[in-house]
Amino acid sequence: MNLEFGRVTLVILFAIVPIVGFFLGLRAPALRSRIPIFVGVFAGLIPILSMYVPRKFIAGPTGMSPRLDQWLIILAGFALLLGIANVLQNNTRKISRREKGWPFSVVLLIGLFVTGGFGIYGGISGQGIGIAADGTPTPFQYVTNWFFQPLQSTIFSLLAFFMASAAFRAFRARNTEATILLVAAVLIMMGRVPLLELLAVPIPSLQPAAAFASQGLGKLTEWIMQTPNGAAQAGIIIGAALGAASMALRVILGIERGYLGLGKGD
Amino acid sequence: MAGLFERIVNLDRRWIFLIVLLSVATPIVIPIGLPVTTTGPTRAAFEFIEALHEGDVVLISFDYGPSSAPENDPMAEAVMRQCALKKLRFIVCALYPLGGLGLANNVVAKITGELPNLRDGVDYVNLGYKDGPAAVMRRMGDDIAGAFPTDVHGKPISEIPLMKGVHDLRQVKLVFTAATSLIGEWWITQVHPQVGIPVIIGPTAVSAPKYYAYLNSGQLVGMVGGMKGAAEYESLLRARYPQLATFYTTTRAFTATKGMDGQTVLHTVILLLLVLGNVAYLRQRRASAKARA
Repeated sequence: MNLEFGRVTLVILFAIVPIVGFFLGLRAPALRSRIPIFVGVFAGLIPILSMYVPRKFIAGPTGMSPRLDQWLIILAGFALLLGIANVLQNNTRKISRREKGWPFSVVLLIGLFVTGGFGIYGGISGQGIGIAADGTPTPFQYVTNWFFQPLQSTIFSLLAFFMASAAFRAFRARNTEATILLVAAVLIMMGRVPLLELLAVPIPSLQPAAAFASQGLGKLTEWIMQTPNGAAQAGIIIGAALGAASMALRVILGIERGYLGLGKGD
Repeated sequence: MAGLFERIVNLDRRWIFLIVLLSVATPIVIPIGLPVTTTGPTRAAFEFIEALHEGDVVLISFDYGPSSAPENDPMAEAVMRQCALKKLRFIVCALYPLGGLGLANNVVAKITGELPNLRDGVDYVNLGYKDGPAAVMRRMGDDIAGAFPTDVHGKPISEIPLMKGVHDLRQVKLVFTAATSLIGEWWITQVHPQVGIPVIIGPTAVSAPKYYAYLNSGQLVGMVGGMKGAAEYESLLRARYPQLATFYTTTRAFTATKGMDGQTVLHTVILLLLVLGNVAYLRQRRASAKARA
């Protein structure tokens, strides 16, 4: 058996300690919150340390940090299972209590079982869940192509209608700031599409002038996007990154405990 | 006149919905064929791929779902066509949970149908979907097989000819991510700094403004922003590859260039609505100020 330092440490930190902590927590409630914090501290520290400590046991290809990434991929799969369990629990409860909108829960569960069933069937039969060797879609891909994709596209396409309506009703030059926003939006909307060429379609003699003006507008749009927008976006991204770093530090240091989902007194 | 403006301001929104429907649907049925001018970020993306050498490996990541497929599909297809014609080998993966894999499968099937000479496992490989995008990307930086032990058909990575000599992302020349969410940004923030691999992003138009900051800082080598970016890419491909010029002019399938007709008409309609709404609002405001005086 390969007893590398990194591997053994990971097993102790993320397997033995949580299991021992779970059993101890049954008798000592105070430990219930401390063990997850302990796990959280090391799960946060190891990837950070791997950036600054270029040693094999932590940053090497089979070191603690890459191995933790591998575990995270596996954990993410289990998180999906947890999500499915949650969906089942909530919707079966809704159906059994005949709560408002319960027929939608029936549809949701049918969708879940049919799609999931086809996926599992594809996995077991070796057929897969994509396009079969003869070019025909597998049952899972069929559901994806003819149910899931049109439904999602339909919901998203409704945005165009609401955005147009909202722009007409709410986008008003009420004050200086709103006017600047309005002018910038109009310029970008004009510059991102060949609008002038479209307007000149009925008068072909105007086409060259429209193309020339459209090019100028395109350059102005690019400048707005690249310079004022780029600068503002950089500021927003840096601000958000600092916020995320401080939040991560709070989690690592055990100050932020909201993710534990503990109630009062825990 | 005042009555007219009042009616405009209080226009039933169902009329607006009808106008939007007509302005999008009509150009799809009767294409106008408006010209497409190219922008710097798209040209940079195109030229970067053009500068790669035959046999180089490119990773194309499907990080979007059906909700933004009309924007993202044409750009993913365009990049894949370019890779195939330049004889670059490409690895396909999907990291978006809500339908990314289905879209990747469809695009791969479409392109391999158009170019039947492409050999699965030799010229391209579809690795399929894996959950936990940030961890998957980081793992791919160290060991691709660690994140994707098999391809989408269940064939072990070690048995795939294309993957010989491609152990991790350091052997890949470029990541192209067609993205609708944060996943695209993670390629820039998580993978690029750690592995040093160049990244090109194909975001939806609504999220494109954010990526100008990354373009300015040099963390992105190019961007194909929204349907407009995809249409620009198609235009660049048409100019460089005669076979694609014929394809894009004759295909009955949806392309970004066709979609831009609808988008242009819709933008024009929204602009008209904006102008009308604001003129009516300003007149109303002036009238009420006069009445108060």
